[in-house]
Amino acid sequence: MRRSLILGGVAVLVFPTAALAADGASGGWIGPFAVIAAGIGMAIAAGLCGLGQGRAVASAVDAMARQPGAAARIQTAMIIGLALIESLAIYTLVIALILLFVKGIQFS
Amino acid sequence: MEAIEHPPIFRLPGIPDHVTYTWLVMIILAAVTFAASRNLQLVPRGIQNFLEVVLEQFTQMIDDVMGHEGRRYLPLLATLGLFILAGNLMSLVPGLAGPTGNLNTTAACAIVVFVAYHGIGARKQGVVAYLKHFAGPVPLPLKPLMFVIELISHLARPLSLTLRLFGNMVGGHILLAVIFLLMGLDGLIGWALSGSVVGAVVGGIGGVVTIVFTVGFLYPLKILVAFLQAFIFVMLTMLYISGAIEEADHHSEHH
Repeated sequence: MRRSLILGGVAVLVFPTAALAADGASGGWIGPFAVIAAGIGMAIAAGLCGLGQGRAVASAVDAMARQPGAAARIQTAMIIGLALIESLAIYTLVIALILLFVKGIQFS
Repeated sequence: MEAIEHPPIFRLPGIPDHVTYTWLVMIILAAVTFAASRNLQLVPRGIQNFLEVVLEQFTQMIDDVMGHEGRRYLPLLATLGLFILAGNLMSLVPGLAGPTGNLNTTAACAIVVFVAYHGIGARKQGVVAYLKHFAGPVPLPLKPLMFVIELISHLARPLSLTLRLFGNMVGGHILLAVIFLLMGLDGLIGWALSGSVVGAVVGGIGGVVTIVFTVGFLYPLKILVAFLQAFIFVMLTMLYISGAIEEADHHSEHH
Protein backbone atom coordinates (compact mmCIF):
# COMPACT_ATOMS: atom_id res chain seq x y z
CA MET A 1 0.00 0.00 0.00
CA ARG A 2 2.60 2.42 1.15
CA ARG A 3 5.02 1.36 -1.53
CA SER A 4 2.43 1.87 -4.25
CA LEU A 5 1.72 5.34 -2.88
CA ILE A 6 5.39 6.21 -3.02
CA LEU A 7 5.64 4.77 -6.52
CA GLY A 8 2.60 6.79 -7.58
CA GLY A 9 4.11 9.95 -6.16
CA VAL A 10 7.36 9.33 -7.94
CA ALA A 11 5.46 8.64 -11.15
CA VAL A 12 3.49 11.88 -10.81
CA LEU A 13 6.69 13.79 -10.24
CA VAL A 14 8.58 12.09 -13.06
CA PHE A 15 5.86 11.86 -15.67
CA PRO A 16 5.53 15.55 -16.58
CA THR A 17 9.25 15.67 -17.12
CA ALA A 18 9.09 12.72 -19.46
CA ALA A 19 6.07 14.13 -21.32
CA LEU A 20 7.74 17.46 -21.69
CA ALA A 21 10.99 15.91 -22.81
CA ALA A 22 9.05 13.95 -25.42
CA ASP A 23 7.37 17.13 -26.58
CA GLY A 24 10.68 18.85 -26.81
CA ALA A 25 9.10 22.03 -25.44
CA SER A 26 11.36 24.69 -24.07
CA GLY A 27 11.32 25.70 -20.43
CA GLY A 28 13.02 22.68 -18.92
CA TRP A 29 11.56 20.73 -16.06
CA ILE A 30 10.52 23.59 -13.79
CA GLY A 31 7.42 24.48 -15.82
CA PRO A 32 5.42 21.33 -14.97
CA PHE A 33 6.53 21.52 -11.37
CA ALA A 34 5.26 25.09 -11.29
CA VAL A 35 1.77 23.80 -12.06
CA ILE A 36 1.99 21.21 -9.27
CA ALA A 37 3.38 23.80 -6.88
CA ALA A 38 0.55 26.21 -7.71
CA GLY A 39 -2.06 23.55 -6.97
CA ILE A 40 -0.51 22.27 -3.75
CA GLY A 41 0.29 25.74 -2.48
CA MET A 42 -3.21 27.03 -3.17
CA ALA A 43 -4.71 23.98 -1.44
CA ILE A 44 -2.63 24.47 1.71
CA ALA A 45 -3.28 28.21 1.76
CA ALA A 46 -7.04 27.79 1.25
CA GLY A 47 -7.32 25.13 3.94
CA LEU A 48 -5.38 27.02 6.58
CA CYS A 49 -7.11 30.27 5.68
CA GLY A 50 -10.42 28.50 6.20
CA LEU A 51 -9.29 27.32 9.63
CA GLY A 52 -8.19 30.79 10.65
CA GLN A 53 -11.31 32.50 9.37
CA GLY A 54 -13.45 29.88 11.04
CA ARG A 55 -11.86 30.63 14.41
CA ALA A 56 -12.31 34.36 13.89
CA VAL A 57 -15.96 34.05 12.88
CA ALA A 58 -16.68 31.65 15.73
CA SER A 59 -15.34 34.09 18.30
CA ALA A 60 -17.17 37.00 16.69
CA VAL A 61 -20.50 35.15 16.65
CA ASP A 62 -19.93 34.12 20.25
CA ALA A 63 -19.31 37.73 21.23
CA MET A 64 -22.33 38.92 19.28
CA ALA A 65 -24.55 36.37 21.01
CA ARG A 66 -23.28 37.50 24.41
CA GLN A 67 -23.68 41.19 23.67
CA PRO A 68 -26.19 41.89 20.91
CA GLY A 69 -25.90 45.61 21.59
CA ALA A 70 -22.33 45.69 20.32
CA ALA A 71 -23.09 43.56 17.27
CA ALA A 72 -22.45 46.30 14.71
CA ARG A 73 -18.99 47.16 15.98
CA ILE A 74 -18.05 43.51 16.38
CA GLN A 75 -19.18 42.85 12.85
CA THR A 76 -17.05 45.68 11.46
CA ALA A 77 -14.01 44.46 13.35
CA MET A 78 -14.69 40.91 12.21
CA ILE A 79 -14.90 41.94 8.55
CA ILE A 80 -11.61 43.84 8.76
CA GLY A 81 -9.96 40.90 10.48
CA LEU A 82 -11.31 38.50 7.89
CA ALA A 83 -9.92 40.71 5.14
CA LEU A 84 -6.50 40.73 6.75
CA ILE A 85 -6.53 36.95 7.17
CA GLU A 86 -7.81 36.43 3.68
CA SER A 87 -5.10 38.58 2.17
CA LEU A 88 -2.53 35.95 3.21
CA ALA A 89 -4.32 33.37 1.08
CA ILE A 90 -4.61 35.98 -1.67
CA TYR A 91 -0.82 36.31 -1.69
CA THR A 92 -0.59 32.61 -2.42
CA LEU A 93 -3.24 32.97 -5.11
CA VAL A 94 -1.21 35.72 -6.76
CA ILE A 95 1.93 33.59 -6.63
CA ALA A 96 -0.02 30.68 -8.11
CA LEU A 97 -1.28 32.94 -10.89
CA ILE A 98 2.26 34.12 -11.56
CA LEU A 99 3.46 30.51 -11.72
CA LEU A 100 0.63 29.54 -14.06
CA PHE A 101 0.25 32.49 -16.37
CA VAL A 102 3.33 34.67 -16.50
CA LYS A 103 5.33 33.64 -19.53
CA GLY A 104 8.01 36.25 -19.09
CA ILE A 105 9.77 34.30 -16.36
CA GLN A 106 12.24 31.90 -17.92
CA PHE A 107 12.09 28.61 -16.06
CA SER A 108 15.40 27.26 -17.26
CA MET B 1 -5.41 35.06 -18.01
CA GLU B 2 -6.19 35.94 -21.58
CA ALA B 3 -5.99 32.21 -22.26
CA ILE B 4 -9.39 31.48 -20.70
CA GLU B 5 -11.15 34.83 -20.52
CA HIS B 6 -12.96 36.20 -23.50
CA PRO B 7 -11.77 39.65 -24.54
CA PRO B 8 -14.31 42.44 -23.96
CA ILE B 9 -16.64 43.45 -26.77
CA PHE B 10 -15.46 47.04 -27.03
CA ARG B 11 -11.75 47.71 -27.40
CA LEU B 12 -9.84 50.78 -28.40
CA PRO B 13 -6.85 49.88 -30.57
CA GLY B 14 -3.53 50.50 -28.91
CA ILE B 15 -5.00 51.13 -25.46
CA PRO B 16 -5.10 48.41 -22.79
CA ASP B 17 -8.55 47.18 -21.82
CA HIS B 18 -8.33 48.21 -18.20
CA VAL B 19 -7.56 51.80 -19.19
CA THR B 20 -10.53 51.89 -21.56
CA TYR B 21 -12.87 50.60 -18.89
CA THR B 22 -11.39 52.89 -16.26
CA TRP B 23 -12.41 55.73 -18.55
CA LEU B 24 -15.86 54.17 -18.89
CA VAL B 25 -16.22 54.01 -15.09
CA MET B 26 -15.09 57.64 -14.86
CA ILE B 27 -17.62 58.69 -17.50
CA ILE B 28 -20.44 56.84 -15.72
CA LEU B 29 -19.59 58.29 -12.30
CA ALA B 30 -19.17 61.80 -13.70
CA ALA B 31 -22.47 61.57 -15.58
CA VAL B 32 -24.36 60.29 -12.53
CA THR B 33 -22.95 62.92 -10.20
CA PHE B 34 -23.50 65.67 -12.77
CA ALA B 35 -27.11 64.60 -13.31
CA ALA B 36 -27.64 64.45 -9.56
CA SER B 37 -26.11 67.83 -8.75
CA ARG B 38 -27.28 69.84 -11.78
CA ASN B 39 -30.59 70.81 -10.27
CA LEU B 40 -30.22 70.61 -6.51
CA GLN B 41 -33.39 70.76 -4.47
CA LEU B 42 -34.08 70.94 -0.78
CA VAL B 43 -36.38 67.93 -0.96
CA PRO B 44 -34.39 65.51 -3.11
CA ARG B 45 -36.04 63.32 -5.68
CA GLY B 46 -34.86 60.65 -8.07
CA ILE B 47 -31.16 60.42 -8.69
CA GLN B 48 -30.23 63.17 -6.23
CA ASN B 49 -32.04 61.22 -3.53
CA PHE B 50 -30.17 58.05 -4.44
CA LEU B 51 -26.78 59.71 -4.37
CA GLU B 52 -27.55 61.41 -1.08
CA VAL B 53 -28.38 58.06 0.45
CA VAL B 54 -25.08 56.64 -0.83
CA LEU B 55 -23.06 59.54 0.55
CA GLU B 56 -25.01 59.34 3.80
CA GLN B 57 -23.70 55.81 4.19
CA PHE B 58 -20.13 56.98 3.68
CA THR B 59 -20.59 59.80 6.18
CA GLN B 60 -22.03 57.46 8.76
CA MET B 61 -19.15 55.02 8.31
CA ILE B 62 -16.62 57.84 8.67
CA ASP B 63 -18.35 59.08 11.83
CA ASP B 64 -18.27 55.59 13.29
CA VAL B 65 -14.61 54.92 12.58
CA MET B 66 -12.79 58.24 12.55
CA GLY B 67 -15.01 60.50 14.61
CA HIS B 68 -16.36 63.82 13.53
CA GLU B 69 -13.15 65.37 12.23
CA GLY B 70 -12.90 62.58 9.67
CA ARG B 71 -15.49 64.25 7.45
CA ARG B 72 -12.76 66.36 5.88
CA TYR B 73 -11.57 63.23 4.09
CA LEU B 74 -15.00 62.32 2.69
CA PRO B 75 -14.07 63.33 -0.90
CA LEU B 76 -11.05 61.02 -0.99
CA LEU B 77 -12.81 58.11 0.69
CA ALA B 78 -16.08 58.37 -1.24
CA THR B 79 -14.30 58.74 -4.58
CA LEU B 80 -12.15 55.69 -3.93
CA GLY B 81 -15.12 53.69 -2.72
CA LEU B 82 -17.41 54.59 -5.61
CA PHE B 83 -14.69 54.02 -8.20
CA ILE B 84 -13.74 50.62 -6.82
CA LEU B 85 -17.37 49.58 -6.40
CA ALA B 86 -18.26 50.63 -9.94
CA GLY B 87 -15.19 48.88 -11.30
CA ASN B 88 -15.94 45.70 -9.38
CA LEU B 89 -19.54 45.65 -10.54
CA MET B 90 -18.57 46.43 -14.10
CA SER B 91 -16.35 43.38 -14.24
CA LEU B 92 -19.41 41.23 -13.57
CA VAL B 93 -21.27 42.43 -16.67
CA PRO B 94 -20.70 39.90 -19.46
CA GLY B 95 -18.81 41.47 -22.33
CA LEU B 96 -17.20 44.23 -20.31
CA ALA B 97 -13.82 44.15 -18.60
CA GLY B 98 -13.26 45.27 -15.05
CA PRO B 99 -10.68 47.93 -14.31
CA THR B 100 -10.07 46.48 -10.84
CA GLY B 101 -9.19 43.10 -12.31
CA ASN B 102 -5.83 44.50 -13.33
CA LEU B 103 -2.86 44.99 -11.06
CA ASN B 104 -2.10 48.47 -12.39
CA THR B 105 -5.46 49.96 -11.41
CA THR B 106 -5.43 48.56 -7.89
CA ALA B 107 -1.79 49.59 -7.42
CA ALA B 108 -2.70 53.10 -8.50
CA CYS B 109 -5.49 53.25 -5.90
CA ALA B 110 -3.22 51.87 -3.19
CA ILE B 111 -0.43 54.35 -3.99
CA VAL B 112 -2.95 57.20 -3.81
CA VAL B 113 -3.94 55.95 -0.35
CA PHE B 114 -0.29 55.59 0.73
CA VAL B 115 0.69 59.11 -0.34
CA ALA B 116 -2.53 60.57 1.03
CA TYR B 117 -2.31 59.18 4.53
CA HIS B 118 1.36 60.01 4.94
CA GLY B 119 0.71 63.51 3.64
CA ILE B 120 -2.23 63.97 5.98
CA GLY B 121 -0.23 62.72 8.97
CA ALA B 122 2.79 64.86 8.18
CA ARG B 123 0.65 67.95 7.68
CA LYS B 124 -1.36 67.37 10.84
CA GLN B 125 1.56 66.71 13.20
CA GLY B 126 4.55 68.19 11.41
CA VAL B 127 7.13 66.07 9.64
CA VAL B 128 9.50 65.56 12.58
CA ALA B 129 6.74 64.66 15.02
CA TYR B 130 5.24 62.30 12.47
CA LEU B 131 8.57 60.54 11.96
CA LYS B 132 9.01 60.30 15.74
CA HIS B 133 5.61 58.67 15.85
CA PHE B 134 7.09 55.80 13.83
CA ALA B 135 9.59 54.91 16.55
CA GLY B 136 6.84 54.16 19.04
CA PRO B 137 6.76 54.25 22.84
CA VAL B 138 9.88 52.20 23.53
CA PRO B 139 13.17 52.96 25.31
CA LEU B 140 15.75 54.89 23.35
CA PRO B 141 18.09 52.01 22.39
CA LEU B 142 15.21 50.18 20.78
CA LYS B 143 13.99 53.13 18.72
CA PRO B 144 16.02 52.47 15.54
CA LEU B 145 14.80 48.89 15.48
CA MET B 146 11.18 49.95 15.93
CA PHE B 147 11.62 52.57 13.23
CA VAL B 148 12.79 50.02 10.68
CA ILE B 149 10.04 47.57 11.59
CA GLU B 150 7.40 50.28 11.36
CA LEU B 151 8.81 51.42 8.02
CA ILE B 152 8.50 47.91 6.62
CA SER B 153 4.98 47.58 7.96
CA HIS B 154 4.02 50.86 6.30
CA LEU B 155 5.55 49.75 3.01
CA ALA B 156 3.60 46.50 3.22
CA ARG B 157 0.27 48.32 3.47
CA PRO B 158 -0.07 49.43 -0.18
CA LEU B 159 1.17 46.00 -1.25
CA SER B 160 -1.52 44.25 0.74
CA LEU B 161 -4.22 46.71 -0.40
CA THR B 162 -3.21 46.14 -4.03
CA LEU B 163 -2.98 42.39 -3.88
CA ARG B 164 -6.16 41.93 -1.83
CA LEU B 165 -8.39 43.76 -4.30
CA PHE B 166 -6.61 42.33 -7.34
CA GLY B 167 -6.54 38.77 -6.07
CA ASN B 168 -10.18 38.74 -5.02
CA MET B 169 -11.32 40.11 -8.35
CA VAL B 170 -9.10 37.97 -10.56
CA GLY B 171 -9.74 34.83 -8.54
CA GLY B 172 -13.46 35.33 -9.03
CA HIS B 173 -13.04 36.02 -12.73
CA ILE B 174 -11.04 32.86 -13.25
CA LEU B 175 -13.58 30.85 -11.28
CA LEU B 176 -16.43 32.18 -13.43
CA ALA B 177 -14.41 31.65 -16.61
CA VAL B 178 -13.70 28.02 -15.71
CA ILE B 179 -17.35 27.36 -14.80
CA PHE B 180 -18.53 28.93 -18.05
CA LEU B 181 -15.95 26.90 -19.98
CA LEU B 182 -17.25 23.69 -18.39
CA MET B 183 -20.84 24.76 -18.97
CA GLY B 184 -20.70 26.10 -22.51
CA LEU B 185 -20.70 24.67 -26.02
CA ASP B 186 -17.32 23.02 -25.45
CA GLY B 187 -18.56 21.43 -22.23
CA LEU B 188 -21.79 20.13 -20.79
CA ILE B 189 -24.24 21.97 -23.05
CA GLY B 190 -22.27 20.99 -26.13
CA TRP B 191 -22.36 17.40 -24.91
CA ALA B 192 -26.12 17.62 -24.41
CA LEU B 193 -26.56 18.91 -27.97
CA SER B 194 -24.20 16.38 -29.51
CA GLY B 195 -26.95 13.84 -30.21
CA SER B 196 -25.93 10.86 -28.10
CA VAL B 197 -28.45 9.64 -25.52
CA VAL B 198 -26.00 9.54 -22.61
CA GLY B 199 -24.78 12.99 -23.52
CA ALA B 200 -28.31 14.36 -23.66
CA VAL B 201 -29.18 12.96 -20.23
CA VAL B 202 -25.95 13.61 -18.32
CA GLY B 203 -25.01 16.78 -20.15
CA GLY B 204 -28.52 18.18 -19.93
CA ILE B 205 -28.84 17.57 -16.19
CA GLY B 206 -25.31 18.78 -15.58
CA GLY B 207 -25.86 21.88 -17.70
CA VAL B 208 -29.06 22.81 -15.87
CA VAL B 209 -27.41 22.22 -12.49
CA THR B 210 -24.44 24.35 -13.49
CA ILE B 211 -26.63 27.17 -14.78
CA VAL B 212 -28.69 27.18 -11.58
CA PHE B 213 -25.50 27.08 -9.50
CA THR B 214 -23.95 29.96 -11.41
CA VAL B 215 -26.97 32.24 -11.49
CA GLY B 216 -28.25 31.36 -8.04
CA PHE B 217 -25.00 31.17 -6.09
CA LEU B 218 -21.85 32.32 -7.86
CA TYR B 219 -23.17 35.58 -9.25
CA PRO B 220 -24.72 36.76 -5.97
CA LEU B 221 -21.49 35.75 -4.25
CA LYS B 222 -19.48 37.83 -6.71
CA ILE B 223 -21.77 40.82 -6.19
CA LEU B 224 -21.32 40.43 -2.43
CA VAL B 225 -17.53 40.24 -2.88
CA ALA B 226 -17.61 43.37 -5.05
CA PHE B 227 -19.37 45.36 -2.32
CA LEU B 228 -17.25 43.80 0.43
CA GLN B 229 -13.92 44.55 -1.23
CA ALA B 230 -14.88 48.18 -1.86
CA PHE B 231 -15.99 48.42 1.78
CA ILE B 232 -12.76 46.88 3.05
CA PHE B 233 -10.61 49.13 0.91
CA VAL B 234 -12.38 52.25 2.20
CA MET B 235 -12.37 50.95 5.77
CA LEU B 236 -8.64 50.22 5.77
CA THR B 237 -7.98 53.64 4.24
CA MET B 238 -9.94 55.18 7.10
CA LEU B 239 -7.98 53.21 9.67
CA TYR B 240 -4.68 54.27 8.11
CA ILE B 241 -5.70 57.94 8.03
CA SER B 242 -6.98 57.90 11.59
CA GLY B 243 -3.78 56.13 12.66
CA ALA B 244 -1.76 58.87 10.99
CA ILE B 245 -3.63 61.81 12.52
CA GLU B 246 -3.95 60.53 16.06
CA GLU B 247 -1.63 62.03 18.64
CA ALA B 248 1.67 60.42 19.40
CA ASP B 249 1.12 59.97 23.14
CA HIS B 250 -1.58 57.33 22.80
CA HIS B 251 0.09 55.37 20.11
CA SER B 252 -1.95 52.35 19.15
CA GLU B 253 -1.24 49.83 16.51
CA HIS B 254 -3.61 49.55 13.59
CA HIS B 255 -2.33 47.11 11.13
